[in-house]
Amino acid sequence: MRNFLAFIQRFRVLLVFAILQGVALSIYFTFISYPRAQFFTTASNINGATLKMRNELTKHFNLSHNNQQLQKENSRLRALLKQSNYKLDNSKITINDTSYKRQYDFIPAVVINSTYDKRNNYFTLNIGSKAGIKRGMGVFSDKGVIGVVHNTSEHYAVVKSCLTENINIDVMVEKTGQFGLLKWNGKDARRGTMWGVSNDTRVKKWSKIVTRGGGGMFPPGIPIGKISKASPVEGQPLWDLTILYSEDYRRVRNVYVITNLMRTEQETLENQIDADN
Amino acid sequence: MTIAIKHIIRFFLFALIQVLVLNQIEIGWGIQLMIYPVFIMLLPVELSVFYLLLISFIFGMFIDSMSNSYGLHTSALLLFAYLRPLIFKVFAPRDGYDILLEPNIFNMGKKWFYKTFGILLLIHHFWFFLLEIFKLNEILFVTQKTILSFIFSMLLCVLVQYLFIRNSKNNAI
Repeated sequence: MRNFLAFIQRFRVLLVFAILQGVALSIYFTFISYPRAQFFTTASNINGATLKMRNELTKHFNLSHNNQQLQKENSRLRALLKQSNYKLDNSKITINDTSYKRQYDFIPAVVINSTYDKRNNYFTLNIGSKAGIKRGMGVFSDKGVIGVVHNTSEHYAVVKSCLTENINIDVMVEKTGQFGLLKWNGKDARRGTMWGVSNDTRVKKWSKIVTRGGGGMFPPGIPIGKISKASPVEGQPLWDLTILYSEDYRRVRNVYVITNLMRTEQETLENQIDADN
Repeated sequence: MTIAIKHIIRFFLFALIQVLVLNQIEIGWGIQLMIYPVFIMLLPVELSVFYLLLISFIFGMFIDSMSNSYGLHTSALLLFAYLRPLIFKVFAPRDGYDILLEPNIFNMGKKWFYKTFGILLLIHHFWFFLLEIFKLNEILFVTQKTILSFIFSMLLCVLVQYLFIRNSKNNAI
């Protein structure tokens, strides 16, 4: 016993160091897979409020660019309105369409904090669980996919962006329907990779990559980017596809969070398969 | 007492500069600017290692929670704090440290500061990027990030002392 105490006495500095280091490292390595320590993120209230204050100060710097972008999107959507279309046949009667039911809701949000040169990059949004944001919802902007909600608090949410190593969004080539998973190599903020396309199929350069809509996170057809390079993977029958992102994650600001109104239905149905097996 | 207040003010000042300003500056080539190690460096020499570790843990968590890095800064800062007394012992002046003097660039001399702080900061940066990337086959990228960031951070840490710590013993902040 005395020896033990003497041992602790001798190495007490190292011991304290090891304990504190252990706490820090366990927080770091567990957070990537599951957000346990919400207190330590920008989603916590004090930190969120501080970042919001900074955002209030700096939001005007990119104002003209953001306004232009929103205006562009508005004009595109306005072109789809009924009023802006010329009626070709006046004898037609409008019928209330009941063959469609709305599946997706879009909640507008503003990015108040973001990084792009770390290994795993997260965005903080100015809305949280009070606005109906939940873990696992998709986020996109007018140009393309942004990421997936990772962690929420009452008023803020942290989004795992496409600049995260294992973002694993279901994507496909728009024309041909070859599908795979989106990954990021951790270096270039403009490029990601698509994993899982078999190399006995043909891949056309500059073909568009869109979401596939699996998993219920994103509706199908939201753009991500274009294939800029295709090279074979050594030792595996797969293509290594480099994607040039259509969104510039360094200046993204106005985004939409997707609520899938039928997600629970899809999930219960898919969970049934597991139960049956 | 005044020393404690001075360090508490510095605690928030350095953390906020790091989080609100420097984390937003992204130069490219994987460079990350870090100024907060200077806070731990400027703590009194006679402060025990336990307090040093405890302060750096709280300080690191404060920065981590605001920059979404979840323990990365804390881990690197703990290593910095743990090694500080050892490095100080190695580079001790001939007649020991004057416990009333703050170990900044003016009181201890340029040469001493570059040596001690340089070694500590290099270890801090290397550990930080090693943990962040966590792949041995990208060790070259880690080294590149470490060296480039180290140069810029060092410049910044020296500059902040010339700007805000006046060359006197009863300085403000």
